[in-house]
Amino acid sequence: MHKLFLTLALIVASGLAHAQSHDVQDDRGRTVPMPDTPERIVVLQEPLLGIPILELGLDIVGSYGRNDDGSSMLRVDFIKTVLGKDGADLGISGIGPLGNIDLEKLSALKPDLIIGGESDADKADILSSVAPVYLKNIRTPDITGFSTQQKLADLLGVSDRFDALMADYKSQLDDVRAKLPDPPNGKTYLAVIIYDQINVVSNMSGVIQAIEDLGYRRADLQGSGKASGYGQGFAVPLSSEQFARLNPDILIIMNSYVSADRGQAAIRDRLNAIVPGWDRFLRPHKEGRVLYLDSVAVTTPTVASARHTLDAIEAWATSK
Amino acid sequence: MRLTTGLHGYVVLRFSSGLEIRLHNLICAMILMMVAVVGGVALLTTGSTDSTFSDLVGLFDGDAVSGDVAFAIADVRLPRILMGFMAGWCVALTGAMLQSLAQNPLADPGLLGLSQGSLVVIMLVLVLFPGLPLIFTPLAGFAGGLAVAVLLMVLVGRHHSGGLGILLMGIAVETTLSSVTSILILYAPPEQSHAISSWLAGSLFHSDWSAVGSFAAWFVISIPAILVIGRKLRSLDLGDHMALALGEAVHITKPVILIVAVLLTAAATAAVGPLVFLGVMAPHLAWFISPAKGRARLFLAAMTGGFLVVAADGLTRLGSDQVALPTGLAIMMIGAPIFIISLRLRTISQARTG
Repeated sequence: MHKLFLTLALIVASGLAHAQSHDVQDDRGRTVPMPDTPERIVVLQEPLLGIPILELGLDIVGSYGRNDDGSSMLRVDFIKTVLGKDGADLGISGIGPLGNIDLEKLSALKPDLIIGGESDADKADILSSVAPVYLKNIRTPDITGFSTQQKLADLLGVSDRFDALMADYKSQLDDVRAKLPDPPNGKTYLAVIIYDQINVVSNMSGVIQAIEDLGYRRADLQGSGKASGYGQGFAVPLSSEQFARLNPDILIIMNSYVSADRGQAAIRDRLNAIVPGWDRFLRPHKEGRVLYLDSVAVTTPTVASARHTLDAIEAWATSK
Repeated sequence: MRLTTGLHGYVVLRFSSGLEIRLHNLICAMILMMVAVVGGVALLTTGSTDSTFSDLVGLFDGDAVSGDVAFAIADVRLPRILMGFMAGWCVALTGAMLQSLAQNPLADPGLLGLSQGSLVVIMLVLVLFPGLPLIFTPLAGFAGGLAVAVLLMVLVGRHHSGGLGILLMGIAVETTLSSVTSILILYAPPEQSHAISSWLAGSLFHSDWSAVGSFAAWFVISIPAILVIGRKLRSLDLGDHMALALGEAVHITKPVILIVAVLLTAAATAAVGPLVFLGVMAPHLAWFISPAKGRARLFLAAMTGGFLVVAADGLTRLGSDQVALPTGLAIMMIGAPIFIISLRLRTISQARTG
């Protein structure tokens, strides 16, 4: 009788264990045994995966690029800037230095799900020895605006939270649109980010989503396209000569997010080095149509970044 | 088996079959093995997860050990140590073979472009045929390395296959192939580009038990290679003419040795990426430890190479929490100072005796 009960218990337990996870196919075509309610998530790309997940109200226990005490290894701290939270307070730990994941540290976090991007495909097999690895496309051309965050919400079973974020966002959109000096319909925008050269920001970020949701459309660039070598991706190089001729209705300029100073003065200094005298002949600047934004706050593919953009646009509109 | 003095004046261990092992070489080999074993055991018990020697013993005895410790020792550290040793062994062995083959103390699979040739073909296969099973990767590397070896022979010609000529030509070929590598990285899809870039610096990150198992076959090939080729190299070290005079079929032996060298290089490159300069350093360090010839030289060089990579991996794992240290760089950090010191001491010693 004892053995019968034990056998029955084992059968039930195995069934329950199977019910706690389900197979999904990730964006790289891999079959992943996804836990039904992941509670210990580790992310391999903090700005593009960690921030969206945290904004959805989920916890992450580990992030690639964090120290063991939860502080950022990099000069920038996306969690602090975008979400106003502290990684240490959230209990987020590191998994080794950038470029060298420590499998022991990763295993010690006891993750039940690891989420990475397409560039982490080479690590997926070895990381699968610790926990299921889900690879999400985060930089491919089909990724726009909030699509990453929405798909993560669907994947992790918190679509209702994403819907709530969108409702608040749309409410703020209407408020800011009402405060704009001119109706945005038919107006153009362009966003540039300065690395060692000037780059046009494409549609893979909160800032672009916000400005387009307001009603602006992207200004056409003369000579842009694959043949001209402008390429595709988050930031597409733009020549200094082209920059000087830009004349969208609103021009957004940002400094690289690895810059220590991402304020207006620092942005202007960088432009002076790349395009000397730009402030004398760049029409949007002369006519007060330039918006200087903090790239760290506005470039993640999240509703939070879009709302930071709306805050900045509202402040600019109010000042005019 | 008895201890006696050979005709050359060195104390040897002579076996009834006639085999002689110089006692100094034997002692050095045993010391190297002990250092490698002790170092390996120390590294098995050191890492992010706290573990002790008794945990290690308990794990192998089947005692209850915590899951974290068992994972750290058995699934992370041990495969890395084994893979690092085997890869270092193969690369150093290849360097020792090539130095004898080319009659050039700077010959190395990297400097001669063999590693780069393997690398380029492996990268082309990864980019153009991403779905190909990984078992074919070493074969692709072998094809690339062999193509470079043949190209070098054609460019340099039979009569200049030793000395500076082959080295210079190898550097030229290596530089050209490096530019091809750079183009591949630049224009490959971003996810492959990232993977290739991190692998180019040498990495033991992907060393799991299946990778160790796959590489072990190539490692096993190196053992009979040492026994057979080591004997041949004693003749080849005297030069082609002397080797011919001693009855060595140089026109067969040299291509065979080159093929074995390319095989081992390709396998190591496919497994851990290029380990630059190890093939030059390890044989010279082994020579410094014990000036051996033939099989003993190959064995000592291989042991030294294996030890260097294991030590480098220890530095990589236990180094800074902030900065990632690629395995290739760690090898240079450990080996280069010792290499420089050994060369300097050798120069001083030669000046005194000269």
